[in-house]
Amino acid sequence: MSRILTFSKALNEALHQEMEQDEKVFIIGEDVAKMGGDFGITSGIWKRWPNRAYDTALSESAIVGLACGAAVCGLRPVAEVMFADFIGVCYDQVVNNAAKLCYMYNGQASAQLVVRAVTGGGIRCAYQHSQCIEPWLMNVPGLVVVAPATPYEAKGLLVSAIRSNNPVIFLEHKGLYNTKGEVPEELYSLPLYQAHLEREGTDITLVAGMTMLNFAQRAADELAKEGLSCEIINPRTLCPLDKDAILNSVAKTGRLVIIQEGPKFMGYGAEVGSMVSEALFEYLKAPIRRVTSLDTPVPFAPVLEDYVLPQYPDVLKACREVMAF
Amino acid sequence: MALSKERLVKIYEDMVLIRRFELEVEKYSKNGTIPGFIHLGVGQEATQAGILAVLRKTDYKFPDHRSHGAIVLSSDPKDRPRIMAEIFAKKTGLNGGRGGSMHVNDLTVRNMGFNAIEGSVVVTGLGTAFASVYNHTDDVTAIFMGDGTLGEGACHESLNMAATWKLPILYCVVNNQYAISTPVSESHPQKQLATWADGYCVPNEVVDGNDVEAVIPAVERATARARAGGGPTLLEFMTYRWQGHFSGDPAAYRPAGELERWKEKDPLKLTERRLLSEHGVRETDLEQIQARVEAEVAGYVQFALASPDPDPADAAKHVYADIEVEAR
Repeated sequence: MSRILTFSKALNEALHQEMEQDEKVFIIGEDVAKMGGDFGITSGIWKRWPNRAYDTALSESAIVGLACGAAVCGLRPVAEVMFADFIGVCYDQVVNNAAKLCYMYNGQASAQLVVRAVTGGGIRCAYQHSQCIEPWLMNVPGLVVVAPATPYEAKGLLVSAIRSNNPVIFLEHKGLYNTKGEVPEELYSLPLYQAHLEREGTDITLVAGMTMLNFAQRAADELAKEGLSCEIINPRTLCPLDKDAILNSVAKTGRLVIIQEGPKFMGYGAEVGSMVSEALFEYLKAPIRRVTSLDTPVPFAPVLEDYVLPQYPDVLKACREVMAF
Repeated sequence: MALSKERLVKIYEDMVLIRRFELEVEKYSKNGTIPGFIHLGVGQEATQAGILAVLRKTDYKFPDHRSHGAIVLSSDPKDRPRIMAEIFAKKTGLNGGRGGSMHVNDLTVRNMGFNAIEGSVVVTGLGTAFASVYNHTDDVTAIFMGDGTLGEGACHESLNMAATWKLPILYCVVNNQYAISTPVSESHPQKQLATWADGYCVPNEVVDGNDVEAVIPAVERATARARAGGGPTLLEFMTYRWQGHFSGDPAAYRPAGELERWKEKDPLKLTERRLLSEHGVRETDLEQIQARVEAEVAGYVQFALASPDPDPADAAKHVYADIEVEAR
């Protein structure tokens, strides 16, 4: 049975239900145990399982390093590094260790861990609490990067991430935590590596995940009034990317707009765009467009941050330009 | 502490095996047969053999980049030719030639392999030690690290966490005096690096790393403490690498006479003298051991030389545990 839950509560429920049925799962990170996490995502876990919830010192390398070692021993760590920007302090463990272990062990063991990280801007917290870090990770074979957009996805994808035998960086957009949606009560999982076709359409393919999905849906509604039919693909797993879902869609529509919150240069939209132009050049009816933030750090003042981050009107503009080409 | 004759003879043979293994690797690295970097542990045999003599098969071992010896001694003897084949980049290598000298791993004996970023396994080892506690076993985690490794910030995080949570870890700091070309005295303020652990309330010892009869009791004390829930220990083994940082490094940064002084403290010669003078072992017994080991290692090399290269397309395997990436 479904009921309405917030994105935060859906994540919390996923952790509780998965920990109930697999005693190899434990949580580790700063403030995740007694306090229940700075965003409340791990709330109540320490009370139920005091030996499976660990508060640590401010030591992201140790958190992720410990998770790697414990994972190789067969445990299933769910580590939290709080803000995704802090991946910078444990980047070595993520890209040089976790990403390589399955390869190094010839598949005999792997870093079957989840690193949960709060991503994205919009809360006026500037440079080191606002970044979209997925491109830092997507160029590293061996990593899985998951980015849910709804409470339903948050629960189902977190369960899959915990069960995955790969290192999964699980990005939780802070702008989504209080969003609400239908979430089944029972434990369920959603497949990794599969994009979700959010809306079928014939004129433009919009690729958008996390908070950008909302922009895409609003734009599709608005453009429908003008007689335009948008197809929306939500990647869900950013890496490895469900290429077929995007290619099949663009083969049909011939037009592509990618909406990503992070900087334009070498963002995941760049990869999606080049993938499509490589495979579908003859199908394209217009240049591929990307809606992104500026190539700057994320500033503090609301007017500055809003200027840097992509906004809803930018999506409409890009779609209209693509159609007018 | 004096070891029994049988044990000392066994460990002598282990040390001879390490040296022989390393000299063969050096030969085939220098003649171009072995690709890539090679870091040799000649001169450090007593540290490696002494630590491995104490550890159990089920203890987690993180060798460092200069640990062929520890890798060989932790393995099942039937797999040793495959260790050589791995270093020779062959399909029959223990890891299919994917990792080579620095990454030989064997989970069946809990040789967890090395991550070639110094300090990386120092935090990974927290996790194997954590798993021992989580699973209620008394297996310890032994992390090999160099004097240079202590410069890495990850060491701070690791000791701090291990000490706070009393994790069963042996930090085996093999102080061979140099981080590539930089001597310890120019990169660390402590007279002995072991004392650095005092700041973390981690018991520590300075150990003569060339004397197995000093190495073994120190490792036994540390493992006993760890198995009993007493937490980590940092052991600083004072030793010296006879070669440069990598095979082919002329080590011009070393002052004249230093290598020669350390060669006088050759761990093999030290043990030989003890076996001859205190245990009634004969020169011919030692020669027999040396000949036997030489033939054994020659067999590893023959196996490696006769082995095929890996299938190139194997490079695309095991990037992920559950999905394939595109092969060329």
